[in-house]
Amino acid sequence: MNRFAWVNARTIAEAAAAVSTTVADAMTASVDAAVPGATSVVKAGGIDLLDLLKENLLAPGKVVSLSQIPGLDAIDEDETAGIRIGSMVTLASLADNPVLQQRYRALADAVQGSASPQIRNVATLGGNLLQRPRCWYFRAEEYRCLRKGGGHCFAISGENQYHAIFNNQPCAIVHPSTAATALVALGATVELATAAGATRRVLLEDFFVTPDKDLQRENDLKPQEILTAIRLPPLPAGLRTAHLKQGEKDSFDWPLADVAVALELEEDGVCKKAAIVLGAAAPVPHRAKAAEAALVDRRIDEKAAKDAGRAALDGATPLAMNAFKLPLFEALVGRAILKAVARQ
Amino acid sequence: MIDAASAIIGRAEGAESGGPAVSGPEPVPITLKVNGVTRTLQIEPRTTLAEALRGRLGLTGTKIACNRGACSACTVWLDGMTVCSCMILAIEVGARNVTTIEGLARGDALHPVQAAFIAHDAMQCGFCTPGMVMSSAALLERMPDPTAEDVKTAISGHICRCGTYPHVVAATLAAAKARKA
Amino acid sequence: MAADGTTRTERFPSGIASVGLGEVERQVPLDEPPPLPANALLAVIGKPVPRQNGRAKVTGATRFTVDIALPGMLHGRILRSPLPHAQLRAIDASAALGHPGVRAVIVVARPEDPAASVVRYIGAPVAAIAAVSMAAAREALRLIRVDYMPLPFVADMDAARAPSAPLVYDSASAPAGHPSGYPAAAGLPLNGNVRGPATGRRGDVAQGFAQGDVVIEGEYRTQVQTHCCMEPHAIVADWRADGLTVHMSTQFTAGVRHELAETFGLPLSRVRVIVDGMGGGFGSKSTLGNYGRIAVALSRQAQAPVRIMLDREEEQMDAGNRPGTWQRLRIGARRDGSLTAISLASYGTAGVAVGAGVGTVAEAMYACPNFEAAQHDVFINAGPGCAMRAPGNVPGAFGLEQAIDELAERLSLDPLVLRDRIDPSPVRREERRIGAERIGWQRRHAPGADPGPVKRGLGVAQSLWGANVQINSACEVRVMRDGSVEVLSSVQDIGTGIGTVLAQTVAEVFGLRPEEITIRIGDTEFPAGPPSYGSRTTASITPPARTAAWRVLQLLFREAALALNVAAGDLVARDGRILVRDEPNRGMSFRDAAARLRTDRISAVASRSDDYAGFRRRMEDAALARQDLGGVQFAEVAVDTETGIVRVERVVAVQDCGRPMNPLQIESQVQGGVLMGLSYALFEDRILDQHTGRMVNPNLEQYKLAGPRETPAIDVVVLENYQGQSATDAYGIAEPSNIATAPAIANAVYNAIGVRLRALPMTPAAILAALGKVPVRS
Repeated sequence: MNRFAWVNARTIAEAAAAVSTTVADAMTASVDAAVPGATSVVKAGGIDLLDLLKENLLAPGKVVSLSQIPGLDAIDEDETAGIRIGSMVTLASLADNPVLQQRYRALADAVQGSASPQIRNVATLGGNLLQRPRCWYFRAEEYRCLRKGGGHCFAISGENQYHAIFNNQPCAIVHPSTAATALVALGATVELATAAGATRRVLLEDFFVTPDKDLQRENDLKPQEILTAIRLPPLPAGLRTAHLKQGEKDSFDWPLADVAVALELEEDGVCKKAAIVLGAAAPVPHRAKAAEAALVDRRIDEKAAKDAGRAALDGATPLAMNAFKLPLFEALVGRAILKAVARQ
Repeated sequence: MIDAASAIIGRAEGAESGGPAVSGPEPVPITLKVNGVTRTLQIEPRTTLAEALRGRLGLTGTKIACNRGACSACTVWLDGMTVCSCMILAIEVGARNVTTIEGLARGDALHPVQAAFIAHDAMQCGFCTPGMVMSSAALLERMPDPTAEDVKTAISGHICRCGTYPHVVAATLAAAKARKA
Repeated sequence: MAADGTTRTERFPSGIASVGLGEVERQVPLDEPPPLPANALLAVIGKPVPRQNGRAKVTGATRFTVDIALPGMLHGRILRSPLPHAQLRAIDASAALGHPGVRAVIVVARPEDPAASVVRYIGAPVAAIAAVSMAAAREALRLIRVDYMPLPFVADMDAARAPSAPLVYDSASAPAGHPSGYPAAAGLPLNGNVRGPATGRRGDVAQGFAQGDVVIEGEYRTQVQTHCCMEPHAIVADWRADGLTVHMSTQFTAGVRHELAETFGLPLSRVRVIVDGMGGGFGSKSTLGNYGRIAVALSRQAQAPVRIMLDREEEQMDAGNRPGTWQRLRIGARRDGSLTAISLASYGTAGVAVGAGVGTVAEAMYACPNFEAAQHDVFINAGPGCAMRAPGNVPGAFGLEQAIDELAERLSLDPLVLRDRIDPSPVRREERRIGAERIGWQRRHAPGADPGPVKRGLGVAQSLWGANVQINSACEVRVMRDGSVEVLSSVQDIGTGIGTVLAQTVAEVFGLRPEEITIRIGDTEFPAGPPSYGSRTTASITPPARTAAWRVLQLLFREAALALNVAAGDLVARDGRILVRDEPNRGMSFRDAAARLRTDRISAVASRSDDYAGFRRRMEDAALARQDLGGVQFAEVAVDTETGIVRVERVVAVQDCGRPMNPLQIESQVQGGVLMGLSYALFEDRILDQHTGRMVNPNLEQYKLAGPRETPAIDVVVLENYQGQSATDAYGIAEPSNIATAPAIANAVYNAIGVRLRALPMTPAAILAALGKVPVRS
């Protein structure tokens, strides 16, 4: 890691003022050999940041810690009877939270068993949402790839077994956040604050940025903006949610595929509304609209679930090495739907 | 919220002007409470807790095997919670209690997990062992009667190339029994 | 062996204990102890004695090489080639020399020396720096200017075999092979990137195939596997005027000492190699290595100790690997199962090194009069392979044991019944019997028979491993006048627990408890012991330990006999006492006997004698025992045919190691071998990007190792197999336990889904493709 100065921000405003740029911009700046050491970036749990620093992918002059700012690590019922999760809440706290386990089950599913206990004890939800992709070309300083400001995506013609099956041109990353898959299905919004005290709320689904809009960042975080909270809306009656993931290993592995479903069922069991989101499938959490349509106005049984599973592949453009994700997603979508429906 | 500021001693630039305190990049003095003993040391902000423990404080029981948080060999406790010390900066520890493998035994009296590891041969080369012991012991603090699945989950972040997992699970379950007795 | 006055006749327990023990007569050298009875009659040998260095390991007190900090120690770091194949045109380290933290710089790849001016893989050492801190070393490394001329490269074995492929070597620069034939024979022809074949032959395979009723043929592929030792390769080199001391995470202190002496022109007596804690080797830490040479050279230049430890990325790229292989097996058999011909062709890649064979299983496991093999090395521009836990036989068994399984199905024979007919080994026969019962083999159904998406299956595979003995192995045993006992040898404990086994061996002789024996190993100041590779440590060092202890005991008996007024031959050592055999209440404590010694310390040094019935073959410092080690493993799997996930639920591993010395440690070893085999079967893969020749997963996150949640229930059964060949009759088990796992799992997967996976690893992608569920791009 490079030598950096350490800043303990005491308030959100202080943090936002001390930060000069997003990590995404800082990484592109490093690659372009702008003034080294000129940037200052945020540190939440630091799990992603330390990895990037150790791989020499960015070299900030200052790291601004959020860990001293009061109020960022609380989980509260908010004024709408939804939930407000402070961005510094750790994944472990989330996994243990009884309200999530009872009501927002897809999110509890997603964070339980992700990474390792040690990582979950430190990694924050905010950091998890904002983390950079795991693409092994992106994560290696030797490859000056498209996303880092270079001219070429090495994955498309290279080792792409773990990469995107949707929207994979010109960059084939998958969004790395498993929690995001569930949060998008649950209709989450993010809350962001500036140094001047302005806040904005954005639907999480809209907060992620597709490569055609901007190739060099995965989200709409502005420089000198702090992600302060994630809000979940109050649950409609009859909402059933679930999240499923499958890695190559069960011990401490990134998912090959993950799926979140949020189904609004009528009293007679007919599906009124469905959100089916695929993670590790595309550069942003991917709404499987055809799968959702396959369930609406239908009673959900095994056949419906299977139909939705098949429809979830609509629009997939697999690469040379990742077509196996198609049957995998088909299976997981079907299973996630049945898991959600089986829950009371 | 973590009270880190009190543990950075010495003047830091910026504090007087009303902005947040800035430390480094040159070495700054910090205090760490490790295994119940308060230590003062000079570290750069970029120094990880693992490096500070192994290098500055000579506590080499904590091992670095991957330096990326992928193997859990460097596991220590912060206020009783397991973390990968290679992914924690020394400067951010603050007033939290650091417990390393050296702090688990009470003099000659081994922690029940340590004794069980010996009895069940839950080690081979021994390099991943300190981290495993810390995870296993932390589990028993919060879950005194775990199942084998609970143990596997608690150690799921650990990589052991020698293949000690079966004996680690057996040892942890045995230690749980011994603690209840 | 004719009786010539230097031996006496003795009767040893012989056979497999669970089958029934008999006796065998051997000629034993006069200065070696009497036969050791079967384990049931012994006090501490064969008992689950806790590891003697266990306390140090669980408290973090064990010092590994990476923990060592000598006063004034510098930090070394290696500059490595960023290109897979390049000619060095110029290298300028002057700016690095000028860095205030730098104390030594060496250049490894030199433009002016044709033998050293080409780098052939990403990660190849180019230069190295020793500096006052690791940060300074990293900074200074960036100041070294290297002018590379990129050369065409090849990163894929199949592509490298093509006549038009870029050449990794020319005939002058290619590795020479090893005169002993291992890892690859010397003097083999080189055609392009293909070296070989190394051939084997017996009988006439053409005739054999003609005689058979069926012929089965299959091709199998195995991946490159990296060792992933948890402690990285590390060395602290301390060059001084009066000699060189090296702390090293090594599998062979005595061997490294020889290499150092030769490489640096030092007498052996001025070179010392030390290791205490050693964080895993698995074959990758058997030699001095390029990093070792570099560390010593830096220390010599800087006149200060220098530590080099590889980071994880370096570990993955330049610390050795198990070569990848492709093999084609043809097996001919009669309808009753008897084999008539085996033909094997293989190509393997150890990157820029040699030794990528598929071992001896096809040649040696089953009775077959006609056999031919042609094994080839294929060079590619990738990190050099080396021995890894049962080299050759691991990929070889993956192919052979699936082929035998396939043959059984073709002949409508149960795989165990077929093996009973064609496997001459009584040890494996007993292992099959025990394992079949344990796993419930009778539950096995037809392939793919389970309804529903999750399909279960049972599989079996077996293994063969030559029992190597390091003849150049010695051990000293000392008894002090205060009754304390020490065992000394340069042998190193790499996690197998040899220290505990030595304590048991010597404690048994003296009638003491193992905790009372002080073990001093891992230092070449002590008598030179064997390496900890080849599963030969126990077989090589425990006989000298017992012999030395026995000789010391005779000296002790002489003193005690005088005091007790009996003949020395009337005495026994038991329960901490020296007793008169026929009058057990007459005697004295071991301590009192020691107090009577004339001098402060008596000792004996013994070395490994020949096996009592001779060896099968002798090599320089080593020999091959007459009887191979076996091993049979059964696996039960559940395959989710919708997701491609394979869960190994249970493995039954039935192994043999002569006389099992410590069942607790042996169980650990076997579990470790099974888990490594499982990990190889399902997860691990050294993945090279073909366009750049770079490993894309040089870490422990994307290079996937089996973790706690992948761990099946592992039943370990170890036979007692007495052969009467040495003072302990004990052998190793680390490699034998790693060979059969992958094919057992593969055979179980076939039984589950009715489709055979002929390539490793068996990832979800591979399983789904085999099931025809992956759409193929047009």
